Amino acid sequence: MVQLTLPKGSAPKKGKEWPKPEGAKNTRAFKVYRYSPEEGGNPRWDTYHVDMDRCGPMVLDVLIWIKNNVDPTLAFRRSCREGVCGSCSMNIGGQNSIACTKGWDEVAGRTITIAPLPHLPVVKDLIPDLTNFYAQHAYVQPFLKTDTPEPEKEWKQSEDQRNELNGLYECILCACCSTSCPSYWWNGDKYLGPAALLQAYRWLIDSRDEATGERLDDLEDPFKLYRCHTIMNCAQVCPKGLNPAKAIAKIKHMMVERVA
Amino acid sequence: MSTDFKTPTAAARGLGSAKSGTEHHIRQRVSAIALALLVPWFLFAVIAASRSGFDGATAFFAQPWNAILMILTLGAAFYHMRLGMQVVVEDYLGKAGMKQGLLILNTFVCVGLFAATALSVLKIWITASV
Repeated sequence: MVQLTLPKGSAPKKGKEWPKPEGAKNTRAFKVYRYSPEEGGNPRWDTYHVDMDRCGPMVLDVLIWIKNNVDPTLAFRRSCREGVCGSCSMNIGGQNSIACTKGWDEVAGRTITIAPLPHLPVVKDLIPDLTNFYAQHAYVQPFLKTDTPEPEKEWKQSEDQRNELNGLYECILCACCSTSCPSYWWNGDKYLGPAALLQAYRWLIDSRDEATGERLDDLEDPFKLYRCHTIMNCAQVCPKGLNPAKAIAKIKHMMVERVA
Repeated sequence: MSTDFKTPTAAARGLGSAKSGTEHHIRQRVSAIALALLVPWFLFAVIAASRSGFDGATAFFAQPWNAILMILTLGAAFYHMRLGMQVVVEDYLGKAGMKQGLLILNTFVCVGLFAATALSVLKIWITASV
């Protein structure tokens, strides 16, 4: 259900302004969302001044610099640092992205705000709780389903059939798209969201899969699928340049093809 | 501390798939296509009918084709509005009782508006042809 203001205990307050690094000539301010369940109280915005001459080019480099040089208590997820794992997704300068491939020079303004992905429960600092997101991914059964006995060698697929999966298989499940979608904000408990639906289409269009009808049955629902109102935030923020809205439109095409 | 012990899988599955929604999707598109054709005529009609005062307007809708197109426009518009408002209510209201109440009200208001406006056009057309 729509919720336009944060509950009292969740509204972030002004936090600590950390001292500027000594001897730094080229600094930039980063306003970072902080919340610790152990400490309790409201979340807060802490400001860090980062020495840009001693820091790598990406936003993830900034966070690691802060953790190493200023505040070791800052919590965030990261792993591959090359846009493959999707761990470091967060809201950077008002737009969802993955910190490892987002250059800090791409973000306009003197101060860059960094917050967790929007409209999700926060575990700590920049770490959101993605439990529901993963359960929705599992709902679309993202694996090959067949009744035909498995061939001795492999399931065959033509080059054209394989090409249908381009623009879909690259999804790294970072959740940038789903958590940028207003429809997912208001009805995330029922609407599967762009990421899960893109994954659903990836299996719907796979020529080797034999469960297309069942998959469509599981998706045909006013909320699970049809909450997509082509707002297109998903396509705008996807750090891999994918278009989940297009995949959802193609699912709707398949639905229509089935009845008319 | 949370007291909801539902598993994530149970939450994601929810009440299961309603196995409907495609019909609504198609109807919304078809009524939109109808409106894309009818609205330009409607704008032309409003300007044409209002130019020559009350008598001119009644004379305009006394023409059968104008009356037919007007009733079709009203039908498509209120039907499309009924479908669109339904989506808005579903989007923004999660409270069960209130949501269903508003959805019923939406249907009643749209059907009522269509009946009232269509009858007005019919009345002009019948009165003029007597």
